[in-house]
Amino acid sequence: MKISRKWLQEYFEMPLPDTTALADALTFHAFEIEEATDTMLDVKVLPNRAADCLCHRGIAKELSAILDLPLKSDPLRTPLPMWDLRSPTLLQVEIEDSEKCLRYIGAVVKGVRVGPSPDWLREALEAVGQRSINNIVDATNYVMLNIGQPLHAFDASKLAQKDGTYSIGVRSAKEGEKMTTLSGEEFNLNPNIQLITDANADTPIALAGIKGGKSAEVTADTTDLIIESANFDGTTTRRAAQTLKLFTDASVRFQNRPSPELCAYGMRDVISLIRDIAGGEVASVVDSYPSRAEQGIVRTSLVKVNAVLGSSYSDTDVEDAFKRLGLPFSQNDETYEVTPPFERTDLSIPEDLVEEVGRIMGYENIPATELPPINGTPDQARYRGIEKMKDELVAQGFTEISTQSFAPEGDVILANPLDKAKPALRKNLEGNMTEAMARAKYFAPLVLPPNEKPKLFEIGNVFTNDGEALSVKTSEPVSGLSEIADDANYVPQQYRLGAYKPFSIYPFIVRDIAFWVSSGTDEEATKSLVQKNAGELLVRIDQFDRFEKDGKVSLAFRLVFESMERTLTDEEINAVMADVSKALTKAGFEVR
Amino acid sequence: MQQSGRLHPITIAIREMADIFGRMGFGVVQGPELETEQYNFDALNIPPDHPSRDMWDTFWVKTKKGEEKKLLRTHTSPMQIRWLEKKGAPTRIIVPGKVFRNEATDATHEAQFYQLEGLAIDTNVTLAHLKGTLEQFCKEYFGTDAKIRLRPSFFPFTEPSVEVDVWFPAQNKWLEVMGAGMVHPLVLENVGVDSTKYQGFAFGLGVERFAMIKYGIPDVRLFHSGDIRFNYAFDQVPGPSEAH
Repeated sequence: MKISRKWLQEYFEMPLPDTTALADALTFHAFEIEEATDTMLDVKVLPNRAADCLCHRGIAKELSAILDLPLKSDPLRTPLPMWDLRSPTLLQVEIEDSEKCLRYIGAVVKGVRVGPSPDWLREALEAVGQRSINNIVDATNYVMLNIGQPLHAFDASKLAQKDGTYSIGVRSAKEGEKMTTLSGEEFNLNPNIQLITDANADTPIALAGIKGGKSAEVTADTTDLIIESANFDGTTTRRAAQTLKLFTDASVRFQNRPSPELCAYGMRDVISLIRDIAGGEVASVVDSYPSRAEQGIVRTSLVKVNAVLGSSYSDTDVEDAFKRLGLPFSQNDETYEVTPPFERTDLSIPEDLVEEVGRIMGYENIPATELPPINGTPDQARYRGIEKMKDELVAQGFTEISTQSFAPEGDVILANPLDKAKPALRKNLEGNMTEAMARAKYFAPLVLPPNEKPKLFEIGNVFTNDGEALSVKTSEPVSGLSEIADDANYVPQQYRLGAYKPFSIYPFIVRDIAFWVSSGTDEEATKSLVQKNAGELLVRIDQFDRFEKDGKVSLAFRLVFESMERTLTDEEINAVMADVSKALTKAGFEVR
Repeated sequence: MQQSGRLHPITIAIREMADIFGRMGFGVVQGPELETEQYNFDALNIPPDHPSRDMWDTFWVKTKKGEEKKLLRTHTSPMQIRWLEKKGAPTRIIVPGKVFRNEATDATHEAQFYQLEGLAIDTNVTLAHLKGTLEQFCKEYFGTDAKIRLRPSFFPFTEPSVEVDVWFPAQNKWLEVMGAGMVHPLVLENVGVDSTKYQGFAFGLGVERFAMIKYGIPDVRLFHSGDIRFNYAFDQVPGPSEAH
């Protein structure tokens, strides 16, 4: 999530360090940073902290703990207003399934002036890659990006009133029902999708937790709003978003189950902001909260912390970490009883608290410790049996290849293949071996001496109706090869490899040259002579023949030419070979 | 005289790793590539419809209605479950094997690659042991100048969870190489291991990634395209690495 440094600064009295320092602080104690500029950090918030940290307040709170800098003010710790919820005559809320909608706060705000947002708001949104739409929509986005509560505003005049009352419904869509979203896209709905409706007209006005509908859109003419601050079940919202292939800032937050307690803070803040920048008065607030979220006490101890981390922290260290994180705790003998604040939905088992201490104190403080030795020798028997087979094949001249497990046909079919031409799992290693052999024969001059033909093998898993099995495939039959058997004592041959030497994507050219030398000539020197005159494009030279006749010796070499940059032409290699011939002739050797 | 052939660089890499971990007491076990949803996700505390599932792009296998859902394993972690179910604690194993991710391929991403899982469970195996084990491994694999650092992360099957970076002297920088953590107590309970008595660490490293760093291989797609030139793109000398 994109986080603005300027926005974060609002949370602190002291000037914050630059984004590089902030990035380091978060990287080593909380989250990876995907990108950092002078003004912005793109923080990788993982699923466990998406409920409280997909917002500036969450990141500010983390920095407060890590840098040990108190927050100037914490929106989630400042008191909530006492709304008059006694007689909601203007607005009603009907929730069909309280397991799919855990809380719904609706507010009627009258007399707003919809218009452009003030500069500070527009800039704040743009700093994190969001577009400014109008002051109302911007206010809802701002509060979401600030404290993590998705919000929505409807144009109240577009809803039907019955006896002067608006009615919001939260229900499953009906089979065949449709809705057009704010961006003009129409969706076909089904009962897996939860809707917000104008219950008086029983028409959809939003896809719950995902996106608002066009029918109740806030426009320049809107004067009265119905604001929604709600909590929709994570599974329901995620499934609906997947079905519709519509993922939004709101759906991403709801799928990670923020606390329903957050709704009240979201409503408080958005009402306050709207009043500031668009005017208007709250006429009615309804809060439907069927069962209040309870978070239990989480217990741990210093002994537990040190036992899991392998550290030697003190009580002071642990208590300091809890304090900095704002986790209220009490001590009961050796046990710490922590009451996590509502937004920390990720804290539920003792190990969660161990992680809090570990990361705030810093993992650099954990001493690298050797595991104690085990009794006896570790069991590597089956693995070594397979490796023994590989070494036997290598000794017999076979080279090991590795190919793809996907195939055009097979007994096991993928529901979502990456390559539609290979939707199955391989039943055997034959197809890939045939292909690899054809290519190996073509590339052989680059890697093998002239009189050798490639011999390949692959050992890998194949999939048939009988199940998954390890298969051994060689490019030609091998006599006397044993079956794979466990071998606890076999020591697999190891190899030291040098640095990778790239091979060219461009085709190579092969040329032979043969010449007579007089008996007693230094034959290695003639090879060097050929090599030197063949130039930089020569990638390989092998002698493939030698015979004696009438007191002379005939030597024959195969030369392989290749460029890393381009396809070579016959003409240019012919020219090179002419140079080689000339040099040999000059040295007194007769080119054949 | 019969010219010998060559092993695949992945085999060479895994052997070196099995040797290093072997000297630290780790056995080697291997598991199926075609896995059940239960072993690949549920038993590892990754429930269906949970956003953490998005962390792995999965190849699902077509199954009939009512049949158990199957997939190509997205990591070697399911073998932690299979092994602990079979043998219980204490245990110390590595699991090399092919894994699959349904994502577009490029120089650093392949649909199939190799992971090496590690698991060490006993009455007193700690995060400090994880650090020590991985540091020892990196020094033996990359050279004595290599060092590691841990930073906080999240995996559903470990708590605490960490990402591990290795300092690679030849490139003068930190490289992210693997994820690790203390096995989540729920995972232990799922396989009948008493989490009040036993604890330990798990890690998963990408074998190609380690080899690419060590040997300067630029493109992961070179590994599994059945190309013999890849085997010969290295000078090769029999014998173990000098680092140890």
